[in-house]
Amino acid sequence: MMNILQSFRMAFKSIATNKMRALLTMLGIIIGVVSLVVLVSLVTSATSSVTSQISSMANDMITVQITDSGTDPIKLEDLGQIESLSDVELVAPSNSSSATAKVGTDSYSVSITGTNNAYFHIQGYELEAGRYLLQSDLDNNAYAVVLSYEAAATLYSRTDVVGQKLSIDSIKYTIVGVLADSDSLTSSFASSNSVYIPYTTAMRISSSGWAGSVSSGISTLYVGAANETAIDAAQTETEAWLLARFGDSDAYSIRSNDTMADTMESVTNTFALLLGGIAAISLLVGGIGIMNIMLVSVTERTREIGIRKSVGATDRFILLQFLVEALVICLMGCAIGVLISTVCLAVVNFVVEDSTYRIAWWIVLVAVAFSTLIGAGFGLYPASKAARMNPIDALRYE
Amino acid sequence: MLELVEVYKLYQLGDEVIHALDNVSLSIDDGEFVSIVGPSGSGKSTLMHILGCLDTATYGTYYLGGQPVQSYSRSELALIRNLQIGFVFQSFNLIGRMTLEENIEMPLIYRGLPASERRERVEQALNRVGLWERRKHTPNSVSGGQQQRAAIARALVTEPTLILGDEPTGNLDSKTGTQIMELLYDLNAEGRTIVLITHDDSIARQAPRRVRIMDGRIIEDDRSGPGKVALSPVAQEAIETVGATLPLVRPALTGALI
Repeated sequence: MMNILQSFRMAFKSIATNKMRALLTMLGIIIGVVSLVVLVSLVTSATSSVTSQISSMANDMITVQITDSGTDPIKLEDLGQIESLSDVELVAPSNSSSATAKVGTDSYSVSITGTNNAYFHIQGYELEAGRYLLQSDLDNNAYAVVLSYEAAATLYSRTDVVGQKLSIDSIKYTIVGVLADSDSLTSSFASSNSVYIPYTTAMRISSSGWAGSVSSGISTLYVGAANETAIDAAQTETEAWLLARFGDSDAYSIRSNDTMADTMESVTNTFALLLGGIAAISLLVGGIGIMNIMLVSVTERTREIGIRKSVGATDRFILLQFLVEALVICLMGCAIGVLISTVCLAVVNFVVEDSTYRIAWWIVLVAVAFSTLIGAGFGLYPASKAARMNPIDALRYE
Repeated sequence: MLELVEVYKLYQLGDEVIHALDNVSLSIDDGEFVSIVGPSGSGKSTLMHILGCLDTATYGTYYLGGQPVQSYSRSELALIRNLQIGFVFQSFNLIGRMTLEENIEMPLIYRGLPASERRERVEQALNRVGLWERRKHTPNSVSGGQQQRAAIARALVTEPTLILGDEPTGNLDSKTGTQIMELLYDLNAEGRTIVLITHDDSIARQAPRRVRIMDGRIIEDDRSGPGKVALSPVAQEAIETVGATLPLVRPALTGALI
């Protein structure tokens, strides 16, 4: 215990007598720690903001893609079966295509989706004006259309357009509703001038050339779980129903926003790992720098080692002295590195607007642990070289 | 008691084998003052290194306190150097970046003494060699004589039974050399064994016993030197309190190791 305390005092003394050299040695560690902490902090901050956006999306939503409907495609009438599953609340079909909308003499490319009332509830879309598509629209194959906020803004430059006629692919529709603007991630995915018509209407016009997929059944299903906690159960049930229906798990793919968030997270984690790995290599290089200097220091202080041994220092004490010195250099470098990292992130936050990059404390712990390991690892060889010296050889060294 | 029995020390130098020590047998009683004299290259430094457990013999046995030294491990030898032996070197061998005080304290740190006891002992040692005022100086900022006195303080701060001097006056003028010699006589008068290595006959002749060495062999062992040296008052007092001879105590090796 006392030995260790004395070793620390000796280490500080020796570093103090060689400040410049110690600082240059530390530089490798400092750069390594700063790159590790700053890079990983940036990535994890970005990750957490992305994942929080994803989880703000309707996260009781399950998306089913029918990839191979075979001879028995899912029809509108089948949706009732899914809806009757105990953990499922809503089911919406969704067949999309692109079309050309005409307002006056101007043409616009729009994304047209045939769906039902449940779709808007599952997606969590709010109304700006008018109403959603209703079951009666589907029953009557009505030529009714709901515009996304972006579509209304692009086509009309205003949103109070309920009641107007809109020509899409030469068919006249009545605008019954406009969706509210939302800055969530989902709406930015769906921002491209989307318009929504009754699924049955889409099915009818498809026979005259539009989206051949409709006649071959529903291509995409959105399933709304009864509540957020039931989402896994709803997904399992839906999947079981699909498997029973198609008898082939390759015929469809099913995912929830949870899986999306998971995927996103694993992508950013890989990214963090990659950057962290690169930074860790620079730390390693810093460690080799320490070994280098410690080896020089041992050679330089050979005579001192001899003197210490002649007055009774054991091999262990000498080992400890040099090991602790390497460790102290490493940890001091680490402390300075963490300090600089905090400053770096503060500067980034100051320069980049609306950014709240925060230091990831777990990576600081990793950096400290790694530096300690490096200090001990790369300090060990020079220290044991010093410890193993013969007293008389060390004493006679010129 | 120190005893060398048929000790050889061989060095390989290219194809040639150098006999630094060639069949040396020597026994030194506790409390003796022995000078070992010989020209440079005669093997006297090698002899001292072996006596001080800094080096080991190629052949032969060195008994220290009746125990063969080769039976000790490296850390046991470090402990023996710490507890029983004090070195005084020609080149002083103080650590330059430490103050005189810290240099003197160093062996006590390795012994594991608490700070308060270290301070007390260092103060005594400093006063004994008259360097109390200079304790905060580094070796480079004091004279050679003062450096050597600091080195002696470092040697005696551990209260060793054996003090080995390797040309301790070699780098000093004759006046300061005399002062150093007086210090050594004082230490001998306290009952400590002193072994003094020198090439200077006039210094060697001051010792009660003179061993002459040449080409690694002892060629003369002369006990006709001055029987007793004049004691300083300090030494006189020390003898009365400590007793004329301090037996070599084999250290309690187990447990005391660091």
